[in-house]
Amino acid sequence: MRFFRQDLHTLTGAYALDALDSASEISRFNRHLSRCQSCASEVRGFREVATAMAFAATAEAPAAMRERVMTAAARTRQLPPEIRTHARPRRTGRSAPWIPWLSGAIATAAIAVAVFFGFAQSHTQSELNQARSQNRALASAQARVEAELTQAKEHDQALAQILGAPHVTLLSHSTTKGGVAVVVLDAATRKLVVATSGLPALPAGKVYQLWLIGPVKIVSVGLLPTAQAGVTTPVVAAGIVKGDKLGLTVEPAGGSKQPTTTPIVALPLPV
Amino acid sequence: MNPNDSDASRFRSATADRRGERDLDDLLVHVARGDQGAFETLYDRMVGPVYGVIRKVLRDPSQSEEVAQEVLLEVWRTAARFDPAMGGAATWVTTIAHRRAIDRIRSTTAAADREHRTADVSPPHDEVAEAVEASLDRERVRRCLEGLTEVQRESITLAYYGGNSYRQVAELLNVTLGAIKTRIRDGLIRMRDCLGVS
Repeated sequence: MRFFRQDLHTLTGAYALDALDSASEISRFNRHLSRCQSCASEVRGFREVATAMAFAATAEAPAAMRERVMTAAARTRQLPPEIRTHARPRRTGRSAPWIPWLSGAIATAAIAVAVFFGFAQSHTQSELNQARSQNRALASAQARVEAELTQAKEHDQALAQILGAPHVTLLSHSTTKGGVAVVVLDAATRKLVVATSGLPALPAGKVYQLWLIGPVKIVSVGLLPTAQAGVTTPVVAAGIVKGDKLGLTVEPAGGSKQPTTTPIVALPLPV
Repeated sequence: MNPNDSDASRFRSATADRRGERDLDDLLVHVARGDQGAFETLYDRMVGPVYGVIRKVLRDPSQSEEVAQEVLLEVWRTAARFDPAMGGAATWVTTIAHRRAIDRIRSTTAAADREHRTADVSPPHDEVAEAVEASLDRERVRRCLEGLTEVQRESITLAYYGGNSYRQVAELLNVTLGAIKTRIRDGLIRMRDCLGVS
């Protein structure tokens, strides 16, 4: 059976409700999802609806089940986390053609600013997608980002330049220790801003250190600031070269000249 | 609510945050590290929706119990694979639950009796009526389902609660495949907006 793109796109609803017919149809749609940012964001929104429907169906489970599950869990080995050598960056592509591109960039910056100010934690991408898919959200987002940008400019000119750049890319990835690293990348000027949210606190004598990990050399960006309410203040890095990844490692206090531990996140930087 | 909040954040606060989803995310992080106490708390928070949605799809209580146990054990086993960037913990858990229920009917239902099973599904209006309870979730979902057109509502409930594929839904409602895909999608867009503006 042949599917045209348009057909595939309208399958977002059926997919989110687990209502596709066969494994082959599911894998075909999964492939499409990996290429279609607007479909992926739509699916995430629909899954929220499905979640509400599941909660609405709440029923009392047999009481004896609890003990059986707990006993089984105590005897079941947990899967280790996936160590991703290639982090999956989430590009804020221009895949929503009905929204003017500039609005998308403004929404991106609005979300980025929101992250830095601690309004959002792990929901950046869904907030971003919501913002992009809901045109009416843009008006207030735009007002907010303008206000925040003015504020940010007073704080840090470099930060404001990147957040205000017309071409930013928002990347985020969870770290192997938990928490999320969020990067706003301005490929044109080869600069980025990075902040983190929800990273576990380190024991005394240990710090998080940021790196640009390139194919040829590894350069220290500096130490990650101490988190305030789980969110770190933004750090600016410049001089990104093709092939660089943004890495984060745990180092002894004061930092190291080169990484001494395995990065807990390594985000490829598309420049 | 802060009038400056975007619709996007209002949507999130209206759904995910009301269920304390951030706490659930944290719990899941602890579960991933082997914390059984955290797993017990997570179990108590999620067993109702997990068992409920499976029961809705499978109907049979003992089969539902079996699948719910498998799902909750899978949550324990695979907690480290949870990626908060892809959605909240509640969504992750209920998605596994619904998928396992669907896997069960799709694998155990031979093509021959598939017709029979789909014919057994109660009218979606019963699904809506059943949902009328004091629970805020039920009330909101019911209200939002009622705001859909009849075909949208029937398509969504037959698919999600009835466990039918969109082809089966098309067959049941006697409309084309293209129309069903569109109606499910349009209905979900309306549901999303409706659940967002509480």
